[in-house]
Amino acid sequence: MGTCYLAWATDEKIRRRAANGGFVTAALVAALENGLLDAVVVVKKEDVYEGIPTVTSAPEVVVESAGSLHAVPVNLTKFVVEFYKDEKNKGKKIGLPVKPCDARGIIEQAKRQQLDINDIYLVGLNCGGTLHPLNLREAAAEVYGIDPDAVVKEEIKAGKLFLTLQSGEERECKIEELEKKGYGRRDSCKMCITKIPTMADLACGNWGVLKGEEATFVEVLTGKGEALLKNALENGYIKVKEASEKSLEVRERIKNAMVKLAEEWWEKLDAVKELTRDERLKFYVETLRLCINCGACRTVCPVCACDDAAKCVSMHDERDDYVISMYNVIRLLHLMDSCIGCGQCEDVCPVDIPLTFIHRRFAERMQRKLNYMPGMNVSEKPPFYEAELQWHDIL
Amino acid sequence: MLAVVDEQMNEKKEWEPKVLAFCCNWCSYAGADAAGLERRQTPPTIRVIRVMCSGRIDPAFVLMGFLEGADAVLITGCHIGDCHYVDANYKTRNRFEFLKEFVDELGLEPERLRLEWISASEGAIFADMVKEVTENVKKVGPSPFRKSWKK
Ligand SMILES: Cc1cc2nc3c(=O)[nH]c(=O)nc-3n(C[C@H](O)[C@H](O)[C@H](O)COP(=O)(O)OP(=O)(O)OC[C@H]3O[C@@H](n4cnc5c(N)ncnc54)[C@H](O)[C@@H]3O)c2cc1C
Ligand code: FES
Repeated sequence: MGTCYLAWATDEKIRRRAANGGFVTAALVAALENGLLDAVVVVKKEDVYEGIPTVTSAPEVVVESAGSLHAVPVNLTKFVVEFYKDEKNKGKKIGLPVKPCDARGIIEQAKRQQLDINDIYLVGLNCGGTLHPLNLREAAAEVYGIDPDAVVKEEIKAGKLFLTLQSGEERECKIEELEKKGYGRRDSCKMCITKIPTMADLACGNWGVLKGEEATFVEVLTGKGEALLKNALENGYIKVKEASEKSLEVRERIKNAMVKLAEEWWEKLDAVKELTRDERLKFYVETLRLCINCGACRTVCPVCACDDAAKCVSMHDERDDYVISMYNVIRLLHLMDSCIGCGQCEDVCPVDIPLTFIHRRFAERMQRKLNYMPGMNVSEKPPFYEAELQWHDIL
Repeated sequence: MLAVVDEQMNEKKEWEPKVLAFCCNWCSYAGADAAGLERRQTPPTIRVIRVMCSGRIDPAFVLMGFLEGADAVLITGCHIGDCHYVDANYKTRNRFEFLKEFVDELGLEPERLRLEWISASEGAIFADMVKEVTENVKKVGPSPFRKSWKK
């Protein structure tokens, strides 16, 4: 475990906009202004239901983007990969706030030589989960009884989701309540057990921030993380104090409770496990036959690093009359060791195939067997390609 | 005579398994050859595809075999340490571990997939393997991916 601090921005403007103490924003701004970073990727808010990942070198854009968007379940990995595809960006240092699944995607891309992890400063955010924007709209209408378009702010505090209306009126509902009614967090988030991004350079959140404190809890995990914190501190962008025993204990307790909940969800969502072999086959055939081969799941997949010559595409022939297409079987097989369960594929699927769940079923059993978790450590090569990659390293 | 014409023209009423075997050029294909030279009985269920090395057997080929309706797919190659391309069959072994889990999760019986190392002189082992796989597959029945399969 790294050193833990409570940190907050000295700039009043940042603190006002920020989710917690504004440490993340202040540290990124400090790094930009003092030349530690060339660019930053932030999620720019359009409204409660939409945020756009933006690469910027302008501190004011970073400040504008402070705050957490819980209903923007975007994964930042592919934006970072796109950034480095541009020749003129090679070798540039960038920093970005990352949920655990963003960090894991970026680490998987580093393993596939798409980017150099040493160029990237990962400011991890603890994550209890994200909501699907359409699902939140529905919940606003059905559960909160308000016009979804009238919501100007959403906030998650102590297990409750608060929605603020234009009039300033605030409505609340327990997330547990929402989830009982089929709303709330996305399936992938419900079963995610990486709540604290220990694979990033810093882990920031509000777990461990005690009542009455306006701060961000920050755990320093690597040298890069330390550099970010030191730079912000020495140049007066933030103030810190060491986290108390009590603080550490609270954070650990909440995390453990969340992980336990996730494991319970996995058991619940795993109902298909009870099915016999034939029923399992029927389930896969019936759900995957809806596929129209649009390729959207591959495009957004944060761990896929194949170009247009990808096997799942080139070995697929539209004229085949297979019960499950080559596209689907190849993707399922290739992701068995690498699926991080982020749920992007399901979010974009135009025919609503429960892809998170299907991929997790294949991946979970393989990853458990191999005792391997993708996206946690750059030096652990993907087991499926291990033989090839070792050879690559020798050359 | 009419019965003979009928039999010649119509597909066999009874299902015969189709076993797809990938054999590497240097060992297991020669092993299959040896089985023939030694006049060993090998069930006619087998369809051999020769590849230069078991390392050439992309798991996607195996999956395609299943989707095309193969009742079983065999992956064969030189014994570990004997691969003519140094270490390629280590990759084969690694990929097989993934295929095994995949096929099981998808809902196909484990009897339908097999990995076997067979040297050029092991004709008997090749013939026995085909016999055994054919018998096992007969027990579990036709592949659900056979074209006639609906829902
Ligand atoms: C979806 C989500 C769920 C979270 N759940 C928890 C939790 O359960 N427990 C906990 O302790 N902390 C959680 N956090 C972290 C917490 O909300 C704060 O982000 C963190 O404490 C840092 O606070 P800050 O004031 O220093 O950040 P700020 O200065 O407000 O900066 C936040 C940064 O996060 C970026 N951001 C906003 N939305 C997203 C998004 N959807 N994806 C990626 N980046 C985004 C913004 O661009 C901004 O740069 C969550 C964050 C998010 C985004
Ligand atoms: S040459 Fe036979 S397995 Fe490689």
